[in-house]
Amino acid sequence: MTALPGAAVTGLGIAVTIGAYALSLRARKRYPSPLTTPVLFSTAIVVAVLLGSGISFADYGPAKQIMTFLLGPATVALALPLYKNRRVFFRNIVPAGCGLLAGSLGTMIVAGLTARVLGITPLLTSSIAIKSATVPIAVEIAAIIHGAPALTAIFVVMTGMLGASLGPWLMNRLGITHPVSRGLALGTISHGQGTAEAVAEGQLSGAVAGVAMGLGAVCTSLAALYVVPLLAG
Amino acid sequence: MDEISDAMAAGGEAVIVGRAAGHSRVLGRLEQAAIVAPQLAGLWALNVAGVWAVRKAALPVPGNLVGMLALYGLLALGVVKLAWFEPAGSFLIKHLAFFFVPITVGLMDSGPLLLAHGLAIMVVLAVSAAVGILLAGFVSQWLLTRPRRRRAEP
Repeated sequence: MTALPGAAVTGLGIAVTIGAYALSLRARKRYPSPLTTPVLFSTAIVVAVLLGSGISFADYGPAKQIMTFLLGPATVALALPLYKNRRVFFRNIVPAGCGLLAGSLGTMIVAGLTARVLGITPLLTSSIAIKSATVPIAVEIAAIIHGAPALTAIFVVMTGMLGASLGPWLMNRLGITHPVSRGLALGTISHGQGTAEAVAEGQLSGAVAGVAMGLGAVCTSLAALYVVPLLAG
Repeated sequence: MDEISDAMAAGGEAVIVGRAAGHSRVLGRLEQAAIVAPQLAGLWALNVAGVWAVRKAALPVPGNLVGMLALYGLLALGVVKLAWFEPAGSFLIKHLAFFFVPITVGLMDSGPLLLAHGLAIMVVLAVSAAVGILLAGFVSQWLLTRPRRRRAEP
């Protein structure tokens, strides 16, 4: 495989990634489960193909550069659901704002403390503490606070899966029934995947979750500057 | 005979309709591209502006976050309209997960690290997600349902 010129490796990398993503969308439709989450499923396929054909992550770099070109604009576009659903949030600004702060600060502190107690390395602790911000923002925060962006990305995706699949069950058990609260909790902790779950629960929950995801990322990126250095030590 | 000519006429019509639909589908795609391209350019420009502002001001926050807040501000001030970004913005958000894949593929370089700490990582993720959900849920629900502010939701 080393005989392949760089351009061919890049083309292959892009083709494999797009193919894996398309496949993951079909897989999710047919077998909906946390394991068929597009990011997880596609990543597994791409990694398997790259390892199988002897292409290193460094060789995949140019393909990554090309494919993530639109990630910035896509992140900016998150302002659109934020703006569309702002009224529901601002109508409940005190409860929603306090819940948002409690949730996003609480999850960061608990993640950092648990990581420390369990003796995880400082790099992993920094990367895991910010896992409730949406991926594109979390990877940028990781770079700022000296975490590892690739690790953060996977922690964010796993948090999305965990929260979206177990969150509704947990809230049913403990009597969190208000649609605003349910949407807020799902969007704050499990960002995009939580928002999708909240949309399935109802329009009000979905709208609140969409705003909570955006504002939660703002909250996490500001708080991380002060909280993470204390936690990662 | 009449029946046959009717059927032929109907068939002919179907062919024409089919052709027209095919034609307009091509035009539609071009039209779509012409609409989407400037929208993507607008979102891209906002992102670049955000990244530039953060670097210029030496702020320790993500540039794309500043770009997002800038777009929100422009929408709120009425400088730009929601419709200006519409098909492109929704498309990007719908397929946001695709753009994460090249990043998470980077895990192939940190396999041993993840394997060594796999169980601890799962515990950290599960505990912190549960606590966060409960905090956000209980705090907001308590404030929403306090007796004096009890109010029906829209």
